[in-house]
Amino acid sequence: MVLHKITNEKDIKLCVIMVGLPARGKSFISQKIVRYLSWLSINCKCFNVGNYRRVLGVDNPKYGFFDFDNVNSYEIRENALKLAFEDMLSWFDSDLENNQVAIIDATNSTRARRNWLINNCQKNNVHPMFLESWCDDKETIMANVKDIATTSPDYDGMDLNTAEEDFMKRIENYQNVYSTLNTTDDKDITFVKLINTSHEIIINKIQTYLQSRIVFYVMNIRIKPKCIWLSRHGESIYNVEQKIGGDSSLSERGLKYSVKLKQLIQENVKDNQELSVWTSTLKRTQETAQHLPYKKLEWKALDELDAGVCDGMTYEEIEEVYPEDFKARDEDKYEYRYRGGESYRDVVIRLEPVIMELERQENVLIITHQAVLRCIYAYFMNVPKEESPWVSIPLHTLIKLEPRAYGTKVTRIKANIPAVSTYKEKGTSHVGESSSAKGSHNLLVNAPEIN
Amino acid sequence: MTSASSIVNHEEDIKPMENGANYMARTSKRWVERGTKLSPKHSNSGDAVHEPVFDVEDFISPGQLYSTESGSLFHAGRILIALVGLPATSKTLLSVAITRYTRWLGVRTESFHLSKYIKKSSNIPCFLSDEFSTAEGAEFKDEIIGQVTRDMMSFFENGKGQIAIYDALNIRKKDRANIKNFFEKKNIKVLFVESIVTNPELITKNIEIAIDSEDYKNWGKHEAIKDYTKRITKNESQYERMSPMESVSYIKYLNFGERIIMNNTNYGYLVNKIVFFLMNLSNKQGSVYLSRCGRSNSDKYIDDELLNEEGIKFSKKLTNIVTDRIKQKRLERKCNTLEFNENSKDSNTKLDTLNCDNVDNTEPLNLDSLVVWTAERKRTYDTAKFFKYEGFDVQKRSQLKQLHPGVVADMGEQEIKEKYPKEFEEFQRDPYHYRFSRAESYHDLAVRMEPLLLELEHMHNDILIIAHESTLRVLYGYSMACTSLEVPTLDFTRHQLVEISFKPFNNVVTRIPIDI
Repeated sequence: MVLHKITNEKDIKLCVIMVGLPARGKSFISQKIVRYLSWLSINCKCFNVGNYRRVLGVDNPKYGFFDFDNVNSYEIRENALKLAFEDMLSWFDSDLENNQVAIIDATNSTRARRNWLINNCQKNNVHPMFLESWCDDKETIMANVKDIATTSPDYDGMDLNTAEEDFMKRIENYQNVYSTLNTTDDKDITFVKLINTSHEIIINKIQTYLQSRIVFYVMNIRIKPKCIWLSRHGESIYNVEQKIGGDSSLSERGLKYSVKLKQLIQENVKDNQELSVWTSTLKRTQETAQHLPYKKLEWKALDELDAGVCDGMTYEEIEEVYPEDFKARDEDKYEYRYRGGESYRDVVIRLEPVIMELERQENVLIITHQAVLRCIYAYFMNVPKEESPWVSIPLHTLIKLEPRAYGTKVTRIKANIPAVSTYKEKGTSHVGESSSAKGSHNLLVNAPEIN
Repeated sequence: MTSASSIVNHEEDIKPMENGANYMARTSKRWVERGTKLSPKHSNSGDAVHEPVFDVEDFISPGQLYSTESGSLFHAGRILIALVGLPATSKTLLSVAITRYTRWLGVRTESFHLSKYIKKSSNIPCFLSDEFSTAEGAEFKDEIIGQVTRDMMSFFENGKGQIAIYDALNIRKKDRANIKNFFEKKNIKVLFVESIVTNPELITKNIEIAIDSEDYKNWGKHEAIKDYTKRITKNESQYERMSPMESVSYIKYLNFGERIIMNNTNYGYLVNKIVFFLMNLSNKQGSVYLSRCGRSNSDKYIDDELLNEEGIKFSKKLTNIVTDRIKQKRLERKCNTLEFNENSKDSNTKLDTLNCDNVDNTEPLNLDSLVVWTAERKRTYDTAKFFKYEGFDVQKRSQLKQLHPGVVADMGEQEIKEKYPKEFEEFQRDPYHYRFSRAESYHDLAVRMEPLLLELEHMHNDILIIAHESTLRVLYGYSMACTSLEVPTLDFTRHQLVEISFKPFNNVVTRIPIDI
């Protein structure tokens, strides 16, 4: 009896196949998995069958297109799936990179279609794992419907009410043929079924560590729309002295920011909305949070990247005392570990519990430090790891993130309280952003998150 | 909710900073805490998973990322995990495995086995729901349950406990409601883990394990099986399976992870992490074998060499020893099962008609049933080459890369002491967490190896791991519940193969000599 096959995970190609009616958060979950695995340096790509249908020329289909008795449109939809599948196979075959996890994002609502996917995966040595989002919570569904009617390219140029109405009829078409995964008919396949997000979760025949890791992540996701607010602590005495690390208090301007922050948050967060404030264990973040009338949590994991022996030094001093280290850090900032301290990768590892908890929470304001915020920001914005240590996160700026199905919306709100810049460009110990650096990082902020 | 603030200032940490009066620099809020007051027990002793959690202020587990004043981690608060299930459903194994894993992560966990309490007060091996139909019996039962409950509460309240695992049948709704009401009143979350086994092979295996225990020490095999089976049947009639109607939080665990159903378990990261672990846990048949690699000419970190002649001899020998040992153990298992099947048939077959010699000892090992993992370095992979010749699956695992020694690579203790006296002093204070310049600490290594530890839990059959001493220490440390003080001192010589057998209650180490 072999309950769990012994597999060589290194060569495993895993295909996560989404299952569920429209407006059940499938795309949202798919994008999140891509983001999470990429953040952990595992190559992952999502193949959205709807996009392939649009490639086949069907840009703004009405609900009738999704009628399963409509032979012509059914063929187009089949072809879209085949195209997506072929693309996925050639992506897996790429010699350049070690591509490991693909996601087929579509409703895959019939057993016939799922069997086609199982067979074709097996033929090509790809392991299928089904991930179903089942939901009958009207509120969640309607929020998703609204979101899709507003943002989906299918409804470009259509007024919101008509779009919503059409979309509801589209869902009905799927409902007629939908068969949900169950523990009788599907007992032999690997699947995860989320019932009303995480009220009940069924995990069936998980075979490998990688699969379990994805399931673990998905268990923590909430589909409900939420806002994540990010802010660095106010300007600290060390910032003014251009020293890194430490556990100093806020400067006068920093204290002003802590007052302003309360105002900014109250202007932007509705009265009835709950918010929790997370800080690090270091003084400067707690001082920044001092006026906020919300529930507060201190996380050790949000403490600034530990600069080891360089803690409390200025970049000029580091360049002088540890010239080799200074150079090595600029060459590979993500991997470089300060003597006796941490690297960005170390920070990413210790941030994982924070990210998981963040996924589970509703509205959160995180007040923490430059390097830590870069890592959190990189997670939400899918910033590649080579670039993430160079993202600009200025002081006295509140960042609002709104994770959506098709990407994360970013708004930066300036407090208009002057502060020093702590941004250090590559190859210099001089602190402060040049206009060119600012430009390129702004671009990055506004770039669409996927593709 | 508890705060995750940093722990105490150590006096030795408060010293003048080198860069003058820089009083605001980080002194104690380091990621890695130093200087524990514990001294290591003698290393290489048995499985410590049942030792009480250390109640020392700055005690840090090997895989722990941070610590808090309250002792709770992951903002999770206190949780009682109560197991549910018939006899022979691996409840004890589950409670011990969860204890081992969460302790490794730094959570203060302790398991409380009701059967142990009963054994202390009475000589009959008994299982609560069927043995106490009289008033006297009921009183005895209440008293025992009261004792366990008091101990668990005291663990939460006085021992800074975060997770208590209650290992008992809890098969009736009434029992479960009592537990829930009692603990939730004390602001402790309650999570039930129901283990269901429907696979006959698994049941057989579990019964085999049960009758092998202390409970049936002086029993004949046949009687023991009969008695135990009777006990299962008796309980079955009282068993009320968990369902969403019961409005409690539970995890159903079917046939050892074949299926897991979580209901209303929105308890946060820690509980999800436990489910993550359960997804990977498997009912182990085989053992884990740990071996170092053979010798190469210069044996230096810096060179990535193939084995020399001595090393090749070693790897040949290793191959023979491992395959012989596995064959022998399988044979024993096969005999046991045969014997067991004969006994459970309820026939009058005499034991002596059963002859284990009938099982063919010369048949080759099934190639699928042993996997060899090596690090990516040539000398470790080379050590596995005879396994590869014989057709076994040999895999290079990058996570097995040895601890990066940094600037002290290939230096002896004396040399380090001379070249880096200050660093050496610090290293000696906390060898688990200290990083030499550009080096990894054992803690870094343990964190980086966590995926591999879970994969190891995942393995069903025998596995041989050939790797550097540092990596073997972490694997061993996890399997035997060592503390972070012990891990760096664990001893692996080239003259021994270390076998770790996974048992429900505790893991067992056997050291097998490799003579060359």
